[in-house]
Amino acid sequence: MNYSLIIVEITAVLIGLGVLMTDLWISPTARKGLGYSAAVALGCLLAFATGSLAPQHGLGFRDSFVVDDLARFFKAFFLFGAIVVILMTVEFSSRIASGLSEFFALVIFALVGMLFAASANDLVLLFVSLELITVTFYILTSFQRNRLASLEAGVKYLILGAVASAFMVFGIALIFGSANSTNFRVIAAHQTELATSPVFLMGLLLVLAGLGFKIAAFPFQAWAPDVYQGSPAPATAFLAVGSKAAGFVLLIRLLTQAVPQITAEWSRLLVVMSAATIIYGSLCAIPQRNLKRLMGYSSIANAGYLLLGIVAMTRSGSTAMLFYLGGYFFTVLAAFTAMCALAEHVETDEIAGLAGLGRRSPFLAASLTLSLVSLAGIPPMVGFFGKVLLLRSVFESAPGHPDLYLLLGVAVIGVVISLYYYLGIIRSIYWGGNTPNLTPIRTSLGTKVALGTCIAGMVFLGIVPNGYLRIAETAVAGMESAVGGLKSPAVKKVSAH
Amino acid sequence: MEHAAVQHAVESGSKIQDLAWMILVAPLVMAVGTTLFVPRDRTLAAIFNIGGVILSFCLSFVLFCVFGGGSAQCTPFEWLPIAGLDVHIGLHIDPLASLMLLVVTGVASLVMIYSTGYMHDDRSYPRFFASLSLFVFSMLGIVLADNFVMLFIFWELVGISSYLLIGFWYARPAAADASKKAFLTNRIGDFGFMLGILIVWSALGTVDFAVAKAKLAENPTLLGSMAGIAGLLIFMGAMGKSAQFPLHVWLPDAMEGPTPVSALIHAATMVAAGIYMLCRVFFLYTAAPGWPGPLSMLGDLSAATLISLVGAFTALLAALIAVQQNDIKRILAFSTLSQLGLMVMAVGLGAKAANPSAAMFHLVTHAFFKAMLFLGAGSVIHACHHEQDIWKMGGLKAKMPFTFWTFLIGTAALAGLPPFSGFYSKDEIFALALETNPILFGVGILVSVLTTFYMSRLVLVAFFGSTRSESADHAHESPGSMKWPLVVLTVPSLMVAWLPLGPFLSESFDPAHPVHLGDIFFGPFNHNPIAAFFGFGAALFGFSLAYSLYWKATKDPLPTQLGLLSKVMRNRFYFDEIYETIFISLHNLFSHIADWMDRWVISGLVVRGVSGLVDISGRALRLVQTGNIQSYTFFFTVGVLLVVLLARK
Repeated sequence: MNYSLIIVEITAVLIGLGVLMTDLWISPTARKGLGYSAAVALGCLLAFATGSLAPQHGLGFRDSFVVDDLARFFKAFFLFGAIVVILMTVEFSSRIASGLSEFFALVIFALVGMLFAASANDLVLLFVSLELITVTFYILTSFQRNRLASLEAGVKYLILGAVASAFMVFGIALIFGSANSTNFRVIAAHQTELATSPVFLMGLLLVLAGLGFKIAAFPFQAWAPDVYQGSPAPATAFLAVGSKAAGFVLLIRLLTQAVPQITAEWSRLLVVMSAATIIYGSLCAIPQRNLKRLMGYSSIANAGYLLLGIVAMTRSGSTAMLFYLGGYFFTVLAAFTAMCALAEHVETDEIAGLAGLGRRSPFLAASLTLSLVSLAGIPPMVGFFGKVLLLRSVFESAPGHPDLYLLLGVAVIGVVISLYYYLGIIRSIYWGGNTPNLTPIRTSLGTKVALGTCIAGMVFLGIVPNGYLRIAETAVAGMESAVGGLKSPAVKKVSAH
Repeated sequence: MEHAAVQHAVESGSKIQDLAWMILVAPLVMAVGTTLFVPRDRTLAAIFNIGGVILSFCLSFVLFCVFGGGSAQCTPFEWLPIAGLDVHIGLHIDPLASLMLLVVTGVASLVMIYSTGYMHDDRSYPRFFASLSLFVFSMLGIVLADNFVMLFIFWELVGISSYLLIGFWYARPAAADASKKAFLTNRIGDFGFMLGILIVWSALGTVDFAVAKAKLAENPTLLGSMAGIAGLLIFMGAMGKSAQFPLHVWLPDAMEGPTPVSALIHAATMVAAGIYMLCRVFFLYTAAPGWPGPLSMLGDLSAATLISLVGAFTALLAALIAVQQNDIKRILAFSTLSQLGLMVMAVGLGAKAANPSAAMFHLVTHAFFKAMLFLGAGSVIHACHHEQDIWKMGGLKAKMPFTFWTFLIGTAALAGLPPFSGFYSKDEIFALALETNPILFGVGILVSVLTTFYMSRLVLVAFFGSTRSESADHAHESPGSMKWPLVVLTVPSLMVAWLPLGPFLSESFDPAHPVHLGDIFFGPFNHNPIAAFFGFGAALFGFSLAYSLYWKATKDPLPTQLGLLSKVMRNRFYFDEIYETIFISLHNLFSHIADWMDRWVISGLVVRGVSGLVDISGRALRLVQTGNIQSYTFFFTVGVLLVVLLARK
């Protein structure tokens, strides 16, 4: 047992416990400070995890836990996401009447689940880490106990999450029954024989359904809008970035690392899922008046775009997906941080409530605008470049697969539709109708730092994508060399040069 | 020499690259930052934007000093890799570009500092600075672009930012109309420009300047029978931006913008973009001339010769119009037109000498002294409570000494009196014309006589004599932020022509044929005495003519002496009216057809249809989202079945 492999996870658990313990000794007024300390501690952990002292490569715990470039790539993002979420929680604290410290601790425990998910190399670890995330989110989503909407969101997430978990654990049982192992490496080694076993395939599909729930892909997306709308904004943000990304890292591991041959045969399924997710998310977002609910649909549509990277089944596809996820992290976190900062001053979550924001707080208005522009995929923001990479990777794989051209068309239509509703929000920010309240909004330093970092990330990755793209490439290549799953790039290596 | 330069370029490549990118991006960052984050903070907006441009200027200066005459192409990003069209975003730095960088950022810095005074009471002060920064960014993009597509993009950006700046006071109908007119007139030129780019691309298979130049150097007949057409179409772009006949009509109207804008855009930079672009793609004009069948009667006449004729005609036309204008800014605007005409003529004539340096030289000197003249005019207008008619001024010499002396220096430079820079740069053009086309030399001298005449008229009427209106009575010297930029500009107006720019610029064109540029004092009289003598004589003659007519005059004697001709000149040869009758009626016809199409086909069928469909399906899908958890669970299960179904082979 090489415990040094999980040093990042252990430290994160300790930070979470530390937050819980410290809460017993400090006055309730000092809880915001506790949040800042937790953010700083996680910041140090982030520095450590991305540095050279952290474990770089390794396999341990009976091959169920893997540390490779892909895992480290995702861990860095999970840590960053948790820091920003904690900072926005501090901003949001007036809305969380009691148990602020518990909220911090729960965010950190969900983070631990994500960190484990990033390294999962075994279906059992996959399941356990997902459960750790999901169970924590049951509480986080219903944290505003005095708000009916929040409780409703929690219950819905709980019941549907339980259904998804049931399907998933049943699937894992079927896989174990037919493959005699739950380890990805073992499965990968025997996938040719397993591909003919209907029991195995059935099990795999059920696991896929469970993961589809996590990422909110069609046809498992129904929960997302309700839960996004009802949950406290920081919980929604973490759900949108952390939980979704955890689902995607597991999808990459499972589909492109453990069973790439079977995935290649399921191209029709993935194409339909991706296309339907994009169309569903984009169309449903149009009539929305509630900003958080709209973000829920936007999150569904984005899951569809991310699936394009898996559909491509090439190295450039996976790279594009990682790139897009990274940009998505910055973008969504920026949007939600701005929304949290507004929560104090704007009564409703309605889009109309944003009217006059351009005058009340140019900074928050600009942050929200930039993140919406990035989500809509307008250059020079990172969202544009990510979408270009994803579409290009699908385009490169398209020769010989006519349905991929169809998928490309759907994706482009989705982008065009999304312009409509994202720009509609911007319109109400700057040109929104009657604005009764024009008092300026002050933002705290923590929010400014979080927003500044996210905006810098969005703009920088959009304008100078090469360095980050190379990191994503390394992450994919590292995963590939471990198993040799992906086929060689179809046309040429993705690169901005 | 060239080898050494290349070596130098390789060694310092990456640093130069960073430097060039920073020069380009700094104003953009400031423009965006101001618009998004401090749209209402006057002080911060001014500090940010002035700081950004000054930073660009300092970096340009470093680039100029360190890099000197070398040339480098900065590692391009691949931007649009489509088979057959490889568009990248790259920067091209050579002596031509680094000189232009200095001019643009230098003038822009001073104009921005000046604006803190001139625009002080304006409500939209931050917007003004952000728009100026956006303009500087676009202009620097033109200067640094290394391919036609990028050049064209920044070309359009310059068009947009000039639209924003001319129409800055959008509540005034005249300003709004002027900005529209400028934009649309430029669009006409840009359309030709785009066609020209397409021809070059299809003939040469590349849009990269360096590659195209190398290909043409290898085989000068590569453009074949399209050489002439391509050259003229590309020139159409310059015709729009540099306001050459017949697209010159927008520039005088553009004076509706704030005066600092006129100084920066309509004197020093944007209007110079056309000349700069012609120099940048000069290799197209040295290629073998050729015309397609229907135009074959043009024979050996090259595009460059036609360009020089257009330039000469514009120069003469504008100079004649300027003689009978009374608005101080319009006089300067027509004088700008006229000088741009001279530059265009010099580019055309330069084709025979394989070197357009003379045009660039005049561009540089003109940028400084014309910016100074405009800023001086702004100072006068500011002092006279926005009175622009020179006949309502008078006697300002004593009231505004700084403005007067700097304006006088600018006038001397424009008139071409030694030792002011205009004398030397005009002299190079005259010398070039004398060598290649004596008739155009005559036109040039005539233009020079007229230039001195109308500028002397302006100075004599506005600054001497007695005050002729109440607002001029109350005039007083402008604040320091407006005064000192003027004083600083006298230095380049006097001395920039003394620099040995000829050999320096030749690196960009044809190092084998360096041109003698840059002289001190009476140098021109030594090596091309005829041109220098005529140039000097023209200035003296023009001045004495003006002196005899306007010294202590209270009203213009010319209308009575010239009669109808004066009226025609005052009304700018009725070009606006002619265009209006011909084009507006045609335009109305087209717009009615387009309106019908738009209303019933595009908007009715396509837009409404599609958006309606999307909207309805969105609303319909929302019904699925019931919020009922039982149905969600049901959907989930159906979903699993669907997935299993789809996964079957």
